[in-house]
Amino acid sequence: MTDSAISSKKDLSERALGALLLLPAALLLLGIVVYPIATLFWSSLHGVDNANVAAGEQWIGLGNYLRAFEDDRFWASSWHTVLYIIVTVPASLVVGLGLALLANLPFRWQWPVRLGLLLPWALPLVFAGLIFRWFFEYQTGVVNDVIVRLGFEPLQWLSSPNLAIAAICITIIWKSSSFMALMLLAGLQTIPKSLYEAAEVDGASRWQQFTEITLPMLRPAIFVALIFRTITAIQTFDIPYAMTGGGPGDATETLAMYIHKTTLDFLDFGYGSALAALMFVLSMAATSGYLKYTRRSAGRGEE
Amino acid sequence: MNFFALKRRTVIWFAAISVAVNGFFPVVWIFLTSLKTETELIRSPITWLPEAATLANYETAFTAQPILRFMWNSLVVATASTALCVLVSALAAYALTRLRMPHRNLIMSVLLAVAMFPLISLMVPLFKVMRELGLLNTYFALILPYAVLSMPVCTLVMASFFQDIPPDLEAAAMVDGCSRVGALFRVVVPLSAPGVFTAAILAFVNAWDEFLLALTMMNRVNMRTLSVGITLYQGEFAFPWPLISAALIIAIVPICILIAAFQERVVGGLTAGGVKG
Repeated sequence: MTDSAISSKKDLSERALGALLLLPAALLLLGIVVYPIATLFWSSLHGVDNANVAAGEQWIGLGNYLRAFEDDRFWASSWHTVLYIIVTVPASLVVGLGLALLANLPFRWQWPVRLGLLLPWALPLVFAGLIFRWFFEYQTGVVNDVIVRLGFEPLQWLSSPNLAIAAICITIIWKSSSFMALMLLAGLQTIPKSLYEAAEVDGASRWQQFTEITLPMLRPAIFVALIFRTITAIQTFDIPYAMTGGGPGDATETLAMYIHKTTLDFLDFGYGSALAALMFVLSMAATSGYLKYTRRSAGRGEE
Repeated sequence: MNFFALKRRTVIWFAAISVAVNGFFPVVWIFLTSLKTETELIRSPITWLPEAATLANYETAFTAQPILRFMWNSLVVATASTALCVLVSALAAYALTRLRMPHRNLIMSVLLAVAMFPLISLMVPLFKVMRELGLLNTYFALILPYAVLSMPVCTLVMASFFQDIPPDLEAAAMVDGCSRVGALFRVVVPLSAPGVFTAAILAFVNAWDEFLLALTMMNRVNMRTLSVGITLYQGEFAFPWPLISAALIIAIVPICILIAAFQERVVGGLTAGGVKG
């Protein structure tokens, strides 16, 4: 009886201490994330009435959202964002898996290989965008140089809409495949060697070992990496900003770039907030899928 | 037998070269560009290796824009936000791993959800908040958000290290008269130094690389951070590539040194956040 009383008192003080230790994190989250996001939804319901500009920002209900629905530029920039997601997420997975498999071979010197994966990851996205803009220059870029040397016509990479999107996709894939490879490499290194040895004894081919052992064992790592990539791809901003600035015209503009322009260049906070709120909801849907998955796998671990 | 050994070596060399070329080629290419002159640059067909290597672009890079000032701004913002982030995350990670807290998983999930907030959604209202507080063009406008943005991954990384420390050590310290918080800083944190260090590197790189908020919160040239400052070398229509390349190389060197020195930590930290979490 006394024992349990003591331990419950101890529990209580531990809880109080725990709450105290979590307090700074909670305060920062409230101030920097929760409060701004709340005001985001609030200001998305306001706007300036063109007939009555002097009145300033007024309550216009869902007006901004209805406006987005009819705004071609909103749909176009959303479509570009979706395009970047569906092209670059699977492609960076394939390239990243390739890099991870190569990097997992038994090298005598591990560090150059590891650094070859780390450098693209550590480079700021804008730098990658600038560097590849230089690669894709029409007259002096290295990409067209190689194309011409191979005997083909040089391409207008950054001034033709479709090619500009392709160039941006290639850059995003280069930048993000290294991160994919690092995550998958860690997954590869947890697969016990004995599985491969057993498969070898049973006469399984290399390809069978890959499809029957490597891929299934790698599934959790692949899933986590894919979700991480998708969530960052929704926010694509830096690379197109550095490579094309959204151009030619608005042909490569993403939703994030449009939101940035609406709020900071056009100073239309109400409409910008509505667009940002839409993106927030979209992104949270993807996150909840991720959380559902991790909670399920955490539950499995505890069993 | 010899043939297979040869084939195996070929495969390994091929692997090493492709990973290295993929990772290093872009940086090597801008390094070569940074040594060229504008006149060499527009020759057709283009030259790969600079014919008359010059360091003039580096000189111009230091004078055309206040690049050392950009670097200083980045350093201040990244260091301060890393320190704040590691401190706050260490307290949170301790509470979540070493104390019997209710709703632990829920708190972890909320933290993770924050890590996935779209920054652009946060940027719009945060700009207004910072403007009202008069914090635009001050270091605080970036230090606070960066600390929060790296908090989830830092908490996860440190939690995974804290978990592995035997509770007996802490109990022993408390018997010797340490308070619980004293035990955290005298026993748990020193013993998980690699984890704390890893978390710090990740937070630092995140802050150093960030672009969108830096672009938004700092519009005065001498408050720009490096990632934004580099984009100022371009003219409206002209791109002086040798100069931009030289500036990029100057900006990349610190980050290269950092990851080369601590590569194992960084790899471990990146994967602790993803695969374990």
